[in-house]
Amino acid sequence: MKLQTKFNLGIIIIFAMLAVGIVAASINYVNINTIREAEDRVKIYTRAAWEIHNGKVTRIQSVLEVLAKAQLIEDLLRDPGNEQLLTAVREELEAIRREQKMDIFNLLAPDGTVILRTRFPYNKGDSLSSDPIVKQVILTQESSAGNIIFSPERLDVEGIGLLEWCLTLDREPRGMLSGAAVPVVEGGRLIGIIQMGSLLNGAIEEVDRIRDAVFENEYYKGKPVGTATIFMGDLRISTNVQDSHGRRAVGTRVSRDVAEHVLEKGLSWTGRAFVVDTWYLSQYDPIKDTDGNVIGMLYVGELEQKYLDMRTRAVALNLSVIFVGLVLAFMLSFFVIRGILGPIQKLSDATKRLSSGELTYRVEAQGKDEVGDLSASFNYMAEQLEGQRQEIERRQQELEDLSSELRAINRNYMEMLGFVSHELKNPLTSAMMSLHTVKDGYLGEVSPAQRKNLESVALSLDYFQDMIKNYLDLSRLEKGELEVNKRQISLYTQVVTPVLEGLERELQERQMVLENRIPEDLTVNADGNLLRIVYDNLLSNAIKYGREGGAVVLDAQENEGQVTLSVRNDSEGIPPEKMPLLFKKFSRLDSPEYASKKGTGLGLYICKEMVEKQGGEIWIDSEMGKWVKFSFTLPN
Amino acid sequence: MSEKKSILVIDDDVQLVESVTTLLESVGYRVSHAYQAEKGLKLARKTKPDLILLDVMFAGPPGPDGIELSRQFHQDPDLKGISIIILSGVRKVLDLGFEVSPDETWMPVKAFLEKPIKPDKLLAEIEKVLGPRG
Repeated sequence: MKLQTKFNLGIIIIFAMLAVGIVAASINYVNINTIREAEDRVKIYTRAAWEIHNGKVTRIQSVLEVLAKAQLIEDLLRDPGNEQLLTAVREELEAIRREQKMDIFNLLAPDGTVILRTRFPYNKGDSLSSDPIVKQVILTQESSAGNIIFSPERLDVEGIGLLEWCLTLDREPRGMLSGAAVPVVEGGRLIGIIQMGSLLNGAIEEVDRIRDAVFENEYYKGKPVGTATIFMGDLRISTNVQDSHGRRAVGTRVSRDVAEHVLEKGLSWTGRAFVVDTWYLSQYDPIKDTDGNVIGMLYVGELEQKYLDMRTRAVALNLSVIFVGLVLAFMLSFFVIRGILGPIQKLSDATKRLSSGELTYRVEAQGKDEVGDLSASFNYMAEQLEGQRQEIERRQQELEDLSSELRAINRNYMEMLGFVSHELKNPLTSAMMSLHTVKDGYLGEVSPAQRKNLESVALSLDYFQDMIKNYLDLSRLEKGELEVNKRQISLYTQVVTPVLEGLERELQERQMVLENRIPEDLTVNADGNLLRIVYDNLLSNAIKYGREGGAVVLDAQENEGQVTLSVRNDSEGIPPEKMPLLFKKFSRLDSPEYASKKGTGLGLYICKEMVEKQGGEIWIDSEMGKWVKFSFTLPN
Repeated sequence: MSEKKSILVIDDDVQLVESVTTLLESVGYRVSHAYQAEKGLKLARKTKPDLILLDVMFAGPPGPDGIELSRQFHQDPDLKGISIIILSGVRKVLDLGFEVSPDETWMPVKAFLEKPIKPDKLLAEIEKVLGPRG
């Protein structure tokens, strides 16, 4: 990995970690703030809702307090049996009740007995002294107001339609009344009580007024932003919360947790609440009657989604700021790092050029920092290397000069050798001719002593002849004059037979048996002249060094695109450690059994060169005390 | 005994000509000789030998080499019937890019023998051409 990449990765990782931290912190911050703010707001909304609710009750009380001073009512209370008056007052009060949109409006005796009801069938004569509001007035002779629960019997007695209304609305044969009772006093004495109130069951004007006043009837993504509900016990009796069909969710109940907390413990509950089908940040306050019993709840809630979206937007804003910061920081670090790494990169490139042999390359010296020092060291190193290379090249040139001089000397020597050898041939030929003519008795009988001497001269001349042949071959090899001209030739007739003809006499003299296993129809792709020299050398060796009276076997094997040729003779064998020496120039075995044989030390070297020049290889096998076999291959 | 077979030796090496002459005469051939190609050609036309022993390269003045000479013999109607054996010390001939063997047009000779040669071998080759002696 490149340094630049490592640095960039490091910075990305650091910033990513920072970003994660900042995002987590900001989400937390937004969470706490938005939720706390929402809860604070819900509390304020709830207070506003109470104000609206209490305002209504206060208004009823005010109306009653005005009516309590009405002459007509005082007259009737002084004469409750006056049926005519009763009817007149009832008609009057019923009109007021309708005008005030109230459900009940009763006139009671000081002990709570009903004198008059304004609702058909105008029941009277029963006592309402157990009604908590009425009871309060009887006890204190003061006005009283609040919320109370109506039993089914009370609903029934209060007049037509009320019980049916409640049952129709929420299938609960009870009602919750919001109302007031006011004493009618004459000369400091309680002469009667007037009571007015309206059922909260289905009182949608009230909850809607709360909603409209607090939330301005706003909608957010198809849901009302704010909702308000009045509960009778845990039952919604008036609400603008909607059910899944878009209807007001009257008749549904609050969750168990809330009911327990608010209804049983009488405490306010604030928090997230799953209202019907969606989450609201909400507050539930207990509604108590004038005796202090919890009879219901007032609920105000604000849609949580609004805050969640607010939070999401805040987080998104945070994230985008962080992202922009990240990109800027990354770009900045990229340029800063490049400023640092640039010179190092140059040094790296310079090192590559240096190692590829461009020793004259130098880097610019850069400042006095570490990189500058490194550049200077690099340049010094490059100079040293260049100096060393020049020295090496100088020495190499010297060596080459020397070598070509030596080659020239060798070539001259080899040319001279070739020339001399060739020039020696004619005298040798006449000497041999004369010697053998005498020795073989063409010129008359020779005595055994003479013959012995002549034989000795003949051997020397044979050796002399071998030497000339080998030195001529060596001279041609070393001068590089040897051309290889391959063609398909018959091994048997064109190579082996002519060579054997020249060696017949020597074979006979050493009483050896030749076994030629080479197939007569075998052709090889080779240079016949070179191949004859190889066979001449190998067979001469076999005859010269082989066991007297032993066998010489010629063989040929064809396989896989090449032919393997071999010359084997019975022999004392050659130890393996000496084998590699045999093919070296001027090498001779110093074994005692070969000591008497004269050799040039060139024959096998020439064989090896000539075989290899034709693309083959040559080797030796031997079994000590039994035989020696020279084999070589020729590609076909 | 029938008339002796005659052999003409053409070679520039005096010692060799002498030793070959000695050998061939000792076994019953009639031998004449020449040291130069031109002289050999003239002598051949005059004496019509049964066989010519010919060296391939000649020292001395420039003139036809042995092979060229053999071709001249072959083309000469008077000499065409005379057999020729080449006796040569020139290994260079073997470096030619083809198999060196007697050939009717290029080298119209009976045998190509390499120097040095021993008497047995030379006599055997000659007998192959002239038939058994005596």
